[in-house]
This record gives sequence, C-alpha cells and structure tokens, in this order.
Amino acid sequence: MAEHNLEQVDKIREAVKQDLLGGRIDLLLGWEKGHYWWQSRPLFARCEEDLDKLAWDSFCAVNLSRYLLEELKEHGKVGLLVKGCDARAFNRLLQDNMVPRDRVVLYGLPCPGMLDYDRLTEEAGRALLSITEQNGQIVLITAEGETTADRDQMLLDKCRDCLYPDPVVYDQMLLSPQGDKEAPERFKKVEELEALSAQERFVYWEKELSRCLRCYACRQACPFCSCRECFVEQENPRWQGRAYQPSENFMFHLIRAYHGAGRCIDCGECERSCPVDIPLQELNRKLIKDINELYGDYEAGLDAELDPPLLTYRPDDPAAFSEK
Amino acid sequence: MSTALKDDTAAGWEPLIVAFCCNWCSYAGGDLAGTSRMSYPANVKVIRVPCSSRMSPMFILRAFQRGADGVLVAGCHPGDCHYSTGNYHVRRRLSAFKRLVEFSGVEPERFEVRWISSSEGDKFAEEMADMTGKIKALGPNGKMRDARWQNIT
Repeated sequence: MAEHNLEQVDKIREAVKQDLLGGRIDLLLGWEKGHYWWQSRPLFARCEEDLDKLAWDSFCAVNLSRYLLEELKEHGKVGLLVKGCDARAFNRLLQDNMVPRDRVVLYGLPCPGMLDYDRLTEEAGRALLSITEQNGQIVLITAEGETTADRDQMLLDKCRDCLYPDPVVYDQMLLSPQGDKEAPERFKKVEELEALSAQERFVYWEKELSRCLRCYACRQACPFCSCRECFVEQENPRWQGRAYQPSENFMFHLIRAYHGAGRCIDCGECERSCPVDIPLQELNRKLIKDINELYGDYEAGLDAELDPPLLTYRPDDPAAFSEK
Repeated sequence: MSTALKDDTAAGWEPLIVAFCCNWCSYAGGDLAGTSRMSYPANVKVIRVPCSSRMSPMFILRAFQRGADGVLVAGCHPGDCHYSTGNYHVRRRLSAFKRLVEFSGVEPERFEVRWISSSEGDKFAEEMADMTGKIKALGPNGKMRDARWQNIT
C-alpha cells in the first residue's frame, strides 16, 4: 500500500463530515483508492460510511471540478476538495456560467504534486510493491529490496510544470499552503517544435496524432470542454468525421486545442487521460504562449472576474498577419 | 470547368484558393473590382460571410480538407466593422489560430488574413493575385487534405 498521510486525511474527513452530516452539503467529491494502490479515483460521498473511503495521497491527480457538471444536476449543494488545478478549473467553469458559486463548497488542499507511476516503476527497474515518502524522498519498495528517489523527479508531467499548487479559490483551507512555484521549462517543448521546419512539424504531428482513437477521453477530462453539445457530435453540419485518417485527426485536435485558447488552465488532465500518450499539452501550451506574447500575460482560472483574452480586444492589438 | 479543379498531379496544376469575404467590406471590394473591370485569378473562390468574425476555425480546416491549397479571410479594416467590434475580436482569434495552424506544420503562406474595404477594388484584385502567386510557388497542399477527396472535373 502507498502510505496515506493519515493525519491529513483525518483532518480533511473531520472537516467535511461536519458539513455532510449537518446538511451544509449533500455530496462530497473527493478521492478514494482505486483497484491498484497507485490509483486514486473520484469518491462520491453521500453518507458517513462513504467518508471512510476518503483518500489523500500522492496519486490524487484526477481533476474533480469537471464532475460538478453532472453532480449539480442531482444534488442541491456539493462539497468539493480542490487542489491548485481543481480550483483553477472551478474558476474556469464559473466564468463559463456552468456552475453556480453558491451551490458549491470548496475545501482547499495545497498540493505537493502528484506522482507518476510509470516513472516510479522505471526508476525502480522492476515491479513496485509500494512506496513510502519522507522529506522529499521516495522509498521504492520492490521484491528485491528498497531504493530511494528524489520526489521532484517522480512527479507527473503536469505537476512538474505547475505554477500554482495552492488553491486560488476556496471556502475553507484545510492544510497549510505550499507557495507558488516556478516552471522554467513550461514552454521548452513548444519552443523546440517551433524551431523545426514546417515539414518536420507536420511529420511530427501526423505521427503523434495517428495514434488517436477518437475516444474523446481528453475532452471528458477537460474543465474547459463544458459545451452541452460538442462539435465532434454535431450531426448537421458534421464537422468531425469518424474515418481513421490524418485530416480527421488534425480536425479534432486543432479544434479541441483551439476551443481552449485563452481558457485552458494548463492542468494537463487531457494528456494524462490520453490512453495513447498524445502530447496534447504542447498544443494547449502553444496557444497559451502565443496569446501571452501577443495580448499580454494571462493565466486562465486565476481570477474568475478577469475577461479571457479572446473575449475582449484593444483597438491597437498586434496581429499574427500583415495588416498593411 | 476551370483549371483550378483539375487533378493535383497534372502538369497544368493550378491552385485552389478559398477566400472568405465579409459581406460589408471585402465582398463589396470584390464587387468593385468586378465592376471596375479589374481582373484577378480565377483560382480564387469567394465565399461570403456576414462578418469576418463569423469565421469558425472549422471552416478553414474544412476548406483544407476539401482541396484548398490556400485559405484567405478578408474583413473590414479595424475600426470599420459594420458590427463595430467583429474584426477586433477576429484579429485576436485568427492570430492565435494562424499560429496554431503553422505550429501543426502548414506553411504560413497557406492561411492568411487581410483587411480590404469596399472602396479597395484594386487592393482586392492585388491580394488575390498575390496569394495565388505565392501558393503557385509553394505547390499543391497535401497537408490536412481528406484522403477521400477527389478532384471532379
């Protein structure tokens, strides 16, 4: 078993138990352990027994805010545990008028960054039995013995480049904040691709996108993909064909990324949920980078009051094309 | 049928260019070019849109899928939009999309945005000739084309 931070879990459980039993919330969205010890899946807690399953460990990567869309249809008030990225996702939904603020209670959990099981297994070199954590180090336990690894090196990609591990919006902060982080390598891969020729980039993307199964897991996981009818399912006009060929892959992936222009909170859930490891974050980050360059720095989800850059304009805006 | 619709591989290949023109300025600019008896290449197929901000990125990709070698979006000059702010918004939107399309590997010349007013018939003809020339030099666009698409002459 992975080591739960038992003290923290108790603290969280106590706080939410009062509200759930006292009727302040009808449902708590949190995490519970999945089939394997290295998986934490969403928990939908409606009663005290459900809360016994509550988990808070280094594998709670799932962004819970997205689940609000469905749960608010059935429940009057929903409690939500939010990490940094969940909180920014909540702001995203709030800006889109997809959730009413007064029907959600947010419990803030500053996030130490979630671990990547593939990376841990690779580091251990063989099947992992479990891990323990101490002072920024991870002890990897296998049948052959124990090795240690630096925690920062074992994070998920999305957590390595995270800027805001602390929730930016909450009703109640349950743990002590971590402070903002730096991510100097956030746009590194985008810049590498930009340096290639058009033909090389096309070959790269054609190959990466050729694996796409069109399962739309990236869309389902995404806090900005909240349309009630998605363009891929529209029948008339039918923008997205079902055929397995490059032009359809480009159609889906460019438009998916573009719909997040100025709205993507860079939580990386799309890439993490992709079953065939398409580097979707590079498309998202390309848009974030360009919009920041052209129209001023903007981080989606930080402030729900601020207009997203593509919903506003200035008369003297620059353009990426000739305006002569 | 025009030569623009002939097979890509044929020796006499001519590019196919789709120009989305806003109803109030650029389409009227095209009209002026016509009534002024200016000529511009027949490779350009004009599609009228109510405003340049009507442009959805799907229109552009669909044009590439169905055989376009180049796509041009033309609208009123900033400040002159019939709907006041449509082209200000589309300037931001298409700037981001143009960079994304380039990032995915399409040559930058293949997707352009221009401001053409209704009094600029000469500019309309010039831009169309200019775009056709550039695309001719680049050659046929195979990228993002639907494999099932065929030239029907």
